[in-house]
Amino acid sequence: MDVAAVTAQLCRAATFNLLSTMRQFAPFAAVLVIALACDRGERAASAAGDSASPGGTIVISTGGDPDVLFPPLLESVAAQQVTDLVYDHLANIGSSMNTVGDAGFEPQLARSWTWSPDSLSIAFHLDPRAKWHDGLPVRASDVAFTYALYKDSATASPSAPLIASIDSVTTPDSLTAVFWYSGRSPMQFFEATNPMLIIPEHALEGIRGQELRTAPLARAPIGSGRFRFVGWNAGSSIEITADTANYRGRPRADRIIWSIAPDFNTAFTRLLGGESDVFEQLTAASLPQIAGHAEIRTVLLPGLDYNFIQFNLRDPAHPARPHPLFGDRALRRALTMAVDRAHIVQNVYDTLAQVAVGPTVRAYPSTDTTLQQIPYSLAGARRLLDSLGWRNSGDGIRRRNGRPLEFTVSVPSSSKARMSMAVIVQDQLKQAGVKMNIDKLEIASFIDRETHHSFDAVFGGWHVDASPGGIRQTWGSAGSHTAGSNYGSYENPVFDAAVESALSEMNLDERRARFKKAYQMIIDDAPAIWLAEPRSMIAISGRIRTPSLRPDAWWANIPEWWVPPAERIARDRLGSSR
Amino acid sequence: MAGYLFRRFAQAVVVVALVATIAFFLIHLAPGDPFAAAVANPNVSEAVRAHWREAYGLDRPVPEQFMRYIASVARGDLGWSFSLQRPVLDVLADALPHTLLLMSIALAASFALGILLAIAQVMKRGSATDRIIGGISLLFFSMPEFWLALMVVVLLAYRFPVFPIGGMVDPVTHGSLGPVSRLVDVARHTVLPALTLTLLYSAVVARYQRAALLDVLPSEYITTARAKGVPERRVIRRHALRNALLPVITLFGLAFPALLTGAVYVEKVFSWPGMGLVIVNSIDTRDYPLLMAAMIIGSALVAAGSLVADLMYLAFDPRLRDED
Amino acid sequence: MKTESATTVERRRVLRRLMSRRSAVAAMIILLLIVIPCAAAPLFAPYDPSAQPDIIALRSQPPSLSHPFGTDPFSRDVLSRLLYGGRVSLSVALIATLVSITLGTAYGAVAGFAGGVVESVMMRLLDALLSIPRLLLLIAVFAAWRQLSLPAFVIIVGFTGWYGLSRMVRGQVLAIKGQDFVASARALGAGRARILLKHILPNVLTPVIVAAALGVGHVILLEAGLSYLGVGVQQPQPSWGNIIQDGSDQIARLWWISFFPGVAIVLTVMAFNILGDALREALEPRQTGPG
Repeated sequence: MDVAAVTAQLCRAATFNLLSTMRQFAPFAAVLVIALACDRGERAASAAGDSASPGGTIVISTGGDPDVLFPPLLESVAAQQVTDLVYDHLANIGSSMNTVGDAGFEPQLARSWTWSPDSLSIAFHLDPRAKWHDGLPVRASDVAFTYALYKDSATASPSAPLIASIDSVTTPDSLTAVFWYSGRSPMQFFEATNPMLIIPEHALEGIRGQELRTAPLARAPIGSGRFRFVGWNAGSSIEITADTANYRGRPRADRIIWSIAPDFNTAFTRLLGGESDVFEQLTAASLPQIAGHAEIRTVLLPGLDYNFIQFNLRDPAHPARPHPLFGDRALRRALTMAVDRAHIVQNVYDTLAQVAVGPTVRAYPSTDTTLQQIPYSLAGARRLLDSLGWRNSGDGIRRRNGRPLEFTVSVPSSSKARMSMAVIVQDQLKQAGVKMNIDKLEIASFIDRETHHSFDAVFGGWHVDASPGGIRQTWGSAGSHTAGSNYGSYENPVFDAAVESALSEMNLDERRARFKKAYQMIIDDAPAIWLAEPRSMIAISGRIRTPSLRPDAWWANIPEWWVPPAERIARDRLGSSR
Repeated sequence: MAGYLFRRFAQAVVVVALVATIAFFLIHLAPGDPFAAAVANPNVSEAVRAHWREAYGLDRPVPEQFMRYIASVARGDLGWSFSLQRPVLDVLADALPHTLLLMSIALAASFALGILLAIAQVMKRGSATDRIIGGISLLFFSMPEFWLALMVVVLLAYRFPVFPIGGMVDPVTHGSLGPVSRLVDVARHTVLPALTLTLLYSAVVARYQRAALLDVLPSEYITTARAKGVPERRVIRRHALRNALLPVITLFGLAFPALLTGAVYVEKVFSWPGMGLVIVNSIDTRDYPLLMAAMIIGSALVAAGSLVADLMYLAFDPRLRDED
Repeated sequence: MKTESATTVERRRVLRRLMSRRSAVAAMIILLLIVIPCAAAPLFAPYDPSAQPDIIALRSQPPSLSHPFGTDPFSRDVLSRLLYGGRVSLSVALIATLVSITLGTAYGAVAGFAGGVVESVMMRLLDALLSIPRLLLLIAVFAAWRQLSLPAFVIIVGFTGWYGLSRMVRGQVLAIKGQDFVASARALGAGRARILLKHILPNVLTPVIVAAALGVGHVILLEAGLSYLGVGVQQPQPSWGNIIQDGSDQIARLWWISFFPGVAIVLTVMAFNILGDALREALEPRQTGPG
């Protein structure tokens, strides 16, 4: 039911058509749902296209150079996009977004795989036709090499923790790579396939550790994917072109170009002017302009983020004591009541976000959206504050025993949306007689504040992963210690128990009911004001036909994107000579 | 003269070393962890962080870091850019020519235009022309560089999309163009930033040059020339202008810091991939090695500019080569 | 006493000369029209600069009768913000300039008066400082220290703006030092400090005043630029540069947010430049050169 409700809400605002619906998930826990996208305009993608005439150039506007085009080291999204298309995984997570077992995974470099009877090893059988873009065949030794490279502490790969469960990789023959595990876990197939892109050993002969970053391969990747790398012109563009003889078939477009614009305006103007075809950083302010361009369609992907103003329940100066203000549950509720979340979200995000339901996202099937929220009521907030003894003094700031009702919220300057929301919250709290100062922090200092619990309040945000179990770390007592992510130190054993009971439940309806109990408890305790659940919206030129997009990586199926011959323009023909 | 040159050169080296020292201590004594941004990714383990610290020498005491830093700068090694994951030297080597291209176009255009305007003003001293040109110069002289750039963008890239809004080449088609079309492509992208800088600096040149011309006009040999019946037009062109060129040369030396300032703002607004953009981006990304290096290169440019101006001054000084 | 009346006469003459220039009078009127409403912003601003009357209906409104300069995305009145921002920008410029001219005059006077090794060391240092690009230095300082308070910001800006002036002051001091009245004062047994304060400083006031007028304009531009780059006056404190920065993200659509503060900057800086030029000519009618 919540799927329909979410969809209706998602699509109402801008006459979106539902393109594809949510897949059903296994009753097992860690399944991420969402293949749900809204599509404006009538040119919905037809998967069954004219494959007889491949062609077309797809230009993606992006907001900055990638860091490094080397999968074990990259951290930027732009780099991820390029390398995902140039390199291959052993197998690719399917459109069902299943991460448990191997259900739904599509073969890439591995044509097939066999589980050992005890599930402690998986043998991947490589496609013998697979070739590197320099002509050499892909071998099992490359797989073992890739694993060793990701794992090597000298490489310092940020992805290393994701493959920690893999013990070793052996190569019984040149086309078989066997992954060994010390124990069984639901996500062991995912861990073998998703974090790593397979890298050619011969291109990195003798290069290790720090030198990897400067290796030629790190700026000019040689992969086995359906696109081959052409060039990277720093600050300007990156180009890849169809690998016409690829073992998995020629991609349908001729070439993909990332047009690098360091600022939003330039990138957006290029899209509006038809200089680029794809732009993924749409903001609320750009919606009216997009609406005036019938030739651009927008695809709304469901949100996997939520943000919030989090109160520190402990005194930052004396962590053993409760916070002088926020230790009081009633005060936290009063502050929440004074904030008009619906208007804030509408002002800042327009239709690109919904009001957050709590410490979770609607995309989880286990999230019940009928949770009872603390309603917005300025009068109610004022009454509550009065009753708590916070009385208005002459200057418009409430005081109790001489102490002003004043606190500082730290906001990361990198998030324009959070900065904007903070400015509005500041004004709304002022109406209630509360003085909120905004401490705009550049991201490094912001994280420093969070991890040292040295704040009154922070404007935080979480990007959720495949399982709602992350809440243990972010809002449970388990994450409240110094190294955990429960920066506000909300500790409620009853809530912890409710979360555990929900996570251990296999039946979805029961699971949702149990989560509802837990979520309701934390919402009532108000350790944070949950503000927005943003969604990303991608603008795509109507010339381009796409199958439905993967919510976590819309670029994943670019090899299937194409431009019908009748709608090709000059730049689509530039690459056709190849 | 050789001694003078040597002294000037030594001075320039001292300045650059001073800037390097200031830059280093500024940034290393600053609060906050410059690395936190690079390792903000929650997937980065503590071990990896430690490894990076080690590699960048950030776990050493500050004086030792300073010695290491100065030694490597002297070797021409400017360090590693956190945000771009490339050697700083490579980043700057890519960016500097772009800035120099923009600067030299703007410099040539604004000196030509500015001197012409000043001559026009001085020939009709006190007239409406003089006042109007003076007023317009003052207007641009008083304008914030970035604001003018923004207004130029609004007008000529958004309202009337005559020119591309930013960048130096068309990222999509540039690679597939022939050599001539490539040149045209770059030229099209150069128009707006160069126009902005030219508007700003021709105002400076015109104001300066007008004052300089008026300064030399009453001087003796010009009075003599006038007394001899040389026409006014010729007096200005032949006599006054040549003597007034000296202050222009001085201005040329002074123009470098101003042009660098302009480049910072104009490159940001027009996304021009030069030194200015590198500097602005390194503020946001807290890429301190890059920021430090950009400061050093910037002040070296300024020092080089004033050195060149001094040499030109020597070459043109009428007391050394006076024909009259 | 004799010098007293002489200066009074001189002052009147300068003032008369200044007022006889139409451009100077116009500049002063413009300045008053901008400075007074900014200084008394609470009286002149039609709205509270931080008030958000209706974040849905009144956001991003183009200029209209009720909001002559439009509203920003938070429904705040741009005119009111401009006036309050002007208060910040103008006081930053005035105080920083005051810091600069104090430092520059003191340094130049001491160097010029001391002479010898002290002077040459001081001037070498000055040469080095003069060669550091001011904007780059300030960017580096404020990029490293993000959360500086406004007073600290002002002082640092002031500390980087006195080099040129102190060179001029030193030149003037050298010229005056050799003149008769200084020599006679010295012969009469006046101490160094007394000579410096009583005789030399009043005579170097001319370049100082001119430099102050031009310096204010320059600092207004500098503050605006630094704030635009995000390393100047910190939000939520509005300043002219900050307001332009607020609007620059959506300049194609919401041009009015950035346009009007820019006009305010141009008018103010122009007025200060005209005044500076006029002052120079009024104070030293013979000197018309680039100084």
